[in-house]
Amino acid sequence: MDQFLQALINGILLGGFYAAMVLGFSIIWGVMGVINLSHGEFIMMGAFMAWLFSEPPDYLMEQLKFEALNPIFTYLISIGYQGMDPFLSLIIIMPVMFCFGYLLQKFLINRVVEKPHLVSLLVTFGLSITFANISKLFFSASPRSVDVAYTGAIRMGDVTMSNIKAIVFVGALIMLSALYLFLHRTRLGKSIRAAAQNKNAARMVGIEIDTVYAITFGLCVALTGAAGMMISPTQAVFPYMGPPFTLRAFTITALGGLGSIPGALVGGLVLGITETMIATFVPRIGTNLAIVASFSILVFILITRPQGLLSGLRPMEMEEGT
Amino acid sequence: MSTQTNGNNKPLLEAKDIYAGYTDFDILQGVSLEVYPGEIVCVIGPNGAGKSTVFKTIYGFLKIRKGTVIFDGQEITNKRPQQILRAGISNVPQLRSIFPQMTVKENLEMGMYIEKDKKRIAERIEYVLGLFPRLAERRAQMAGTMSGGEQRMLEIGRALMLEPKLILMDEPSAGLAPLITRMIFENVERLNKEIGLTVLMIEQNARQGLEASHRGYVLELGQNSYQGTGQELINNAEVRRAFLGG
Ligand SMILES: Nc1ncnc2c1ncn2[C@@H]1O[C@H](COP(=O)(O)OP(=O)(O)OP(=O)(O)O)[C@@H](O)[C@H]1O
Ligand SMILES: [Mg+2]
Repeated sequence: MDQFLQALINGILLGGFYAAMVLGFSIIWGVMGVINLSHGEFIMMGAFMAWLFSEPPDYLMEQLKFEALNPIFTYLISIGYQGMDPFLSLIIIMPVMFCFGYLLQKFLINRVVEKPHLVSLLVTFGLSITFANISKLFFSASPRSVDVAYTGAIRMGDVTMSNIKAIVFVGALIMLSALYLFLHRTRLGKSIRAAAQNKNAARMVGIEIDTVYAITFGLCVALTGAAGMMISPTQAVFPYMGPPFTLRAFTITALGGLGSIPGALVGGLVLGITETMIATFVPRIGTNLAIVASFSILVFILITRPQGLLSGLRPMEMEEGT
Repeated sequence: MSTQTNGNNKPLLEAKDIYAGYTDFDILQGVSLEVYPGEIVCVIGPNGAGKSTVFKTIYGFLKIRKGTVIFDGQEITNKRPQQILRAGISNVPQLRSIFPQMTVKENLEMGMYIEKDKKRIAERIEYVLGLFPRLAERRAQMAGTMSGGEQRMLEIGRALMLEPKLILMDEPSAGLAPLITRMIFENVERLNKEIGLTVLMIEQNARQGLEASHRGYVLELGQNSYQGTGQELINNAEVRRAFLGG
């Protein structure tokens, strides 16, 4: 029973992270009909940035053999900078990722949004490989770990809750609620929903679709980067860490509906709990089986309920809007 | 319906010799039309004649290759929808244009997207809801769950949010039951009388459309073929044979 309870708590904590992790993927798909296969790489970038900001500069100088950056590191050493808390680094990660996403949409994705799905699928697939390999050139393939000062766990009777995972869970809930309020209460958020629901009508009331798309993409990349930071203290950070997240994002979106925030939470929890239960109760192969479970759920849902379990920004549909 | 005498009035909207198309081929080959302030003008014509295309070009959705559009003394040829809205033209397109997963109130709010003054938006919402009691009862309902007629009314209401001088309506009665169609036309005529709204509409339902209008145009194969007052067109033998069922 305790083992079950423990697995349940771990599953819920993981599910909260998954919900935050999937937002960017789900909203981009829901708003502009682009299935972003480079989603996992944005998580990887966020995680690497958390690593960069949290390590002391002398260690980075030794690890990254980039002469060009040495003056920066030397300067940071001279002022006695020792790295910052990874959660604090969100205030840099999110704006940087926003700008990156905004420019990516403005100069690249906006050119393919009107084209058939296959085109944007191939473009984002290409981006995913490009991003992973550039990261490898820059950071090498060695797995990195991100440390925080407050490891340890909260003990409640016979079950424990890791501090970091609890913080991540709370952070995820904050992200979900903030995004919900943004989309429903602000003029910009409403214009994003309008563009998702009826593109022509949105144009007609004077919404500049290209700009709204660029802002949406920037926002989604920023949220995804933040998720990458949040996962970085609990798993290895390396250039090829992205694809399993993209796969999970597919599953959760299929479970919860396109662009639906409550759906992301429900889908995230279902997947998080399923994976943790399998990893806990299936001996030996459980951990590897967990990711298989994700794919099986995806296939099962696509066959039985292609519109998702909850409705989102718009119904799940593959055909082109006109 | 009585004929408007606009002898010394300048047209509010003047489209002159418009050429436009979706591919290299011009669907519109020299369409011209004029709408005077306070008029209801109806465009009729067979399917595929290019009626909707005319509206799309006026509204800046489709590039005008030749010709000019003048509105309220100002040239608006190939302006963006946002600039057209600011000039004072609203649009109710042929295809459903509500935001289905927004409430009635939010949909109306989107009609004033280009303005930021929240107080003014709230006032306009109340004003428009006052014009359409059926919408007022449903202000918190998701627009996508309303009936076809209610959705049409919402589209018209949304188009009125910015206090336009001219409203373009593409087949406002399409797909609606006769009773609802009559109600929509009554609303249009009432708005025309009460707030002096100028209306340019396309109607499949030619007789009813012309009866509700001051003047009409017949569009065929991307060109004007006839024009006149509503009654003149209804009485014209050829127009009758072609569009009014004998
Ligand atoms: N988006 C588009 N792309 C290509 N061709 C189009 C497009 N929209 C309309 N057309 C073509 O332009 C021509 C005129 O279409 P339009 O929609 O203006 O006709 P209409 O007079 O409004 O007809 P209806 O009474 O059926 O609404 C048609 O031949 C149509 O096939
Ligand atoms: Mg039409």
